[in-house]
Amino acid sequence: MTENNHEIREIVIPGEILTEDKSFIPGRGAIRQGDRIISIYIGLKEVRGKYINVVPLRGKYRPEIGDKVIGKIVDITSVKWRVDINAKDTGILKPRDAIDVYDKRSQRGRKKSSRELEAEAMKMYELGDMLIANVVSVDRVSDPVLTTVGESLGKIDEGTIIGIDVPKIPRIIGKKGSMIKLLKDLTTCRLFIAKNGLVWVKGATSEYEKLCIEAIRKIEREAHTTGLTDRINYYIQEKKKERGLK
Amino acid sequence: MTILIPEEYPKKLIDKNGKRLDGRALDELRPFSCKIGVLANADGSAYVEHGKNKIYAGVYGPREVHPRHLARPDRGIIRVDYRMTTFSVHERKSPAPNRREREISKIIEDALAPTLFLELYPNSAIEVYVQVIAADGGTRCASTTAASLALADAGLPLKSLVAAVAAGKADGEIILDLGDLEDKAGTADVPAAVRMIDEEFTLLQFDGEMTPEEFEKSIKLIKKGAREIFAKQTAAIKEKFDTVRKETEEENKKIEKLVPPEEKITHASGTKEEEKAGEEKSDKAEEIKEEKEDPSDTKEEEKKPKKEKEEKKSEENK
Repeated sequence: MTENNHEIREIVIPGEILTEDKSFIPGRGAIRQGDRIISIYIGLKEVRGKYINVVPLRGKYRPEIGDKVIGKIVDITSVKWRVDINAKDTGILKPRDAIDVYDKRSQRGRKKSSRELEAEAMKMYELGDMLIANVVSVDRVSDPVLTTVGESLGKIDEGTIIGIDVPKIPRIIGKKGSMIKLLKDLTTCRLFIAKNGLVWVKGATSEYEKLCIEAIRKIEREAHTTGLTDRINYYIQEKKKERGLK
Repeated sequence: MTILIPEEYPKKLIDKNGKRLDGRALDELRPFSCKIGVLANADGSAYVEHGKNKIYAGVYGPREVHPRHLARPDRGIIRVDYRMTTFSVHERKSPAPNRREREISKIIEDALAPTLFLELYPNSAIEVYVQVIAADGGTRCASTTAASLALADAGLPLKSLVAAVAAGKADGEIILDLGDLEDKAGTADVPAAVRMIDEEFTLLQFDGEMTPEEFEKSIKLIKKGAREIFAKQTAAIKEKFDTVRKETEEENKKIEKLVPPEEKITHASGTKEEEKAGEEKSDKAEEIKEEKEDPSDTKEEEKKPKKEKEEKKSEENK
């Protein structure tokens, strides 16, 4: 099935007939209508064995358990934060998910009740703070619950955050992370690509940050084409020469 | 004080040669062009020029429903807001929403709903804003066409695009795609929207007088016109991505000349890892859909072992 990878994949529109061959099975982005298999997205048609898929080119983020997301605190009550995670519903962050209660409780002298600890934890984040959080639970009825307990989670103090199309995230990461490695190496920026389509960029200077963001925008625009890694490599090196960056 | 001048209509809408006021044949569309992705802040957007109509459509959502009581726990709702700008018509239109605008909003909603999978979005709303910049007869049809393109551009799953066009009667002849004067001075007007996958009508209005035979004829004309519009919708979408593709191909050639092949970084467009990451995301939505569309258990069972096999194969390949 590897031979398909280098083929230029056809762009299809919703309702377009992908095949009338009954031996195929509709994969993601496709449904069966009578004898035919039709696309339900504007996307790239892709045949894998018996499956016909359509990879959408745009779409909204749907939270799933375990996703690392970047969010912004948009509301504070006495018992929880509401976090905009670029999805249909705002995420909920409760103080017991913001600090490791058991860790804190064992610290020095007097034991604190969990209520005291939670009240203390509510001071951690303020309105407008940007966070990296993990999605703990998601269902069709209630809002997604987040946590900031864990490695590399918590408040973001520095850098730039940009939004990208969610279906194009895999392209920015690349095969086995090749594209993200390229971006990191050439622009010397630190990068974090959250599943909800927000990207955190931190470079040594704003020049590098700008270059990295421009490269990401180029990837986003040309996500449906081939030879992208080479092109980005060339693009960044040219821009560096132009701007006199190392 | 405004002076009301009664509008004067020409006596003949069709001349001796069977041509219409603007020189069109009886079954000819006005010039039509469209574009997607025109508004940066909307989730999806489209711009349509149909004759002298100029229409923007923007899609937002699925997002929370306000006021909350409109939300449905089992499915999403679609809301369309059709508005005309004050300068879109000859005499200034009051900016206050009127009865006509509410009617058209409602019929566009009904024309688009049969193409959406609303059961995927419980408690949420898909909102479509249609703004008429210039009006010249048949705005409800052009707005439906634009709104359908904007929904597709937003990346929402759709069964099909919708193309809309009107037919009517003027000077005793059945004509396709009425202009402003033909609409006002003619004897009948049949605006309709067609879901292109099965050519079902999702909107059919009727105003005026016609015999059943003439009505049959106008339905045929509408289908013909809708197919032409649909072809242009399709071309507009594909063109957007193909132009980028062409540009990049040229760039690729340029780079190949500069960089010797050994130094190239190994790459593959759309590799397995990339797609797996994407796959995980939309799986849930797909599962729900598959259950609804294809309830037979045997197919589900067949799928699983095959998927596993595929994965094994791909591992071996590595």
